[in-house]
Amino acid sequence: MQPIIDFPHSMWISQHTVRFAFNDEISHTNFCAVQAFSQFLKKQLRHHLVESVASYHTVTAYVKQKIDIVPLRTQWLEMQASTNEGTNRLLKIPVCYDEEFALDIQRVMDFTGLSFEDIKTVHMSKSYYVYLIGFLPGFPYLGELDSKLFVPRLKKPRVAVSASSVGVGGGQTGIYPVDSPGGWNIIGKTPLDLFDVNGKEPFLFALGDEVQFYEVTKQQFWEMKSKGV
Amino acid sequence: MKPLLLVTKQGVYGSLQDQGRYGYRSFGIPLSGPMDKVSFQAAQQILQNHPDQTSFEMFVGGFEFEALSDGMYVLTGGHCTCLVNNDPIEMWKTFRLTKGDQLAIKSVHQGSIVYLTPLGGFYTKKELGSSSCLPLGNLGTSITKGSILYGQITSPLTYNRGLYAPYRPTFLSTISVRIFKGPHFHLFTEESQRQFLHNPFQFIGGNRMGYYIKGPVLQLHEMQDILSEATQFGTIQVPQSGDPIILMADAQTVGGYPIIATVHEGDLHKVAQMRTFNTIQFALEEA
Repeated sequence: MQPIIDFPHSMWISQHTVRFAFNDEISHTNFCAVQAFSQFLKKQLRHHLVESVASYHTVTAYVKQKIDIVPLRTQWLEMQASTNEGTNRLLKIPVCYDEEFALDIQRVMDFTGLSFEDIKTVHMSKSYYVYLIGFLPGFPYLGELDSKLFVPRLKKPRVAVSASSVGVGGGQTGIYPVDSPGGWNIIGKTPLDLFDVNGKEPFLFALGDEVQFYEVTKQQFWEMKSKGV
Repeated sequence: MKPLLLVTKQGVYGSLQDQGRYGYRSFGIPLSGPMDKVSFQAAQQILQNHPDQTSFEMFVGGFEFEALSDGMYVLTGGHCTCLVNNDPIEMWKTFRLTKGDQLAIKSVHQGSIVYLTPLGGFYTKKELGSSSCLPLGNLGTSITKGSILYGQITSPLTYNRGLYAPYRPTFLSTISVRIFKGPHFHLFTEESQRQFLHNPFQFIGGNRMGYYIKGPVLQLHEMQDILSEATQFGTIQVPQSGDPIILMADAQTVGGYPIIATVHEGDLHKVAQMRTFNTIQFALEEA
């Protein structure tokens, strides 16, 4: 049985915005709490909820009118006692780490003292979760990165990072959804599109998804790219 | 749909906006929609349009158009001189353009944002459920010189409608804006908290994403990083410089700067219509 997650601290941000906060930290425990609470709100507030935005430690609910928070407390405890949900979607994401795409690999090698091969291995060695989406449309902040790969962001952000570039910055890894300026250390590129407004599913990632990276060669990269998989 | 207007001169910045793009904030897509909802909604009501029709939003005027077909319009928002074939016309009241007419939006005297709305609204492709333009996400259509604005086929109104002058909003050079305490208010020094609530700030510039204001430098008790969390139209965040930024209609969905307060939804239009060097003062309300 899962330990019971305390009801988060609630606060009205404006007339139609209420913020629920868990502990002030980036952690897997918080991630699970935030995910469970987001699902809970979707169910409990379905008639009142416009949408919600989750972060590392908060769930912010945009509601049609003021709601009573008090009943949610008991409902939250009841829900946790009765269900054991929490199945995340697993996405396997191909990445080409070829030098052509891994623009900052030298910098990452210098900072970490790891070889090119080690960096790839460590980056692919674990599952990540989409902790946050923001900064750009569909930009996933994936945590948590192995501490061996911690590299500060570029002092001077690049003027242009091409869409689908895979980067590391601080304790996280992420993928640029659109061409944009950016300061993450770029170590590869995925052949997948993250944001396609005309696609059936406009966004590749959703909050809470589990993500695993696997390596593809440059040839495979271009094959996948041309097939549009 | 039919072509209504050709943009013959481009102003500072103009974009098509409907009520906004709801339902995608958890994917990092800003809400967008009108900066000044009051003037936007007034336009739809005057024309008896559906409230979610599309208007053309212009910053400080400067735009000129040529009518490609006959149509009925209304101009709302900041007070400006508007000319049809060089003759001034009244804002907040419907007017007609016949094919070949020239419409010019000149300088704005009061406020800073003007809405041009045709009967039935402008027509543009909806993306993710909205026709609002968001350049950062390549969503919507950018309007520049040479662009054509399309309209819906509508049955014409046979009479003019408008808003009587006493009901039109006025945009003052000094505004008081209601705010609610933000989640990080307590992290600021007591002096900064007091200064924020009692000192005036000056608007120094901005765009649809954020407005920069300057006043006393606001400081935290101790330097610390804040975990990113949800932000919205009206969020007042304070980066390390200590100068607050009020996030506007194209606000990023999450942000990592301390949030000192959030603007009351009923006062956002006043903030939106500020002009450079206007004064803004905050009044605390209980959320």
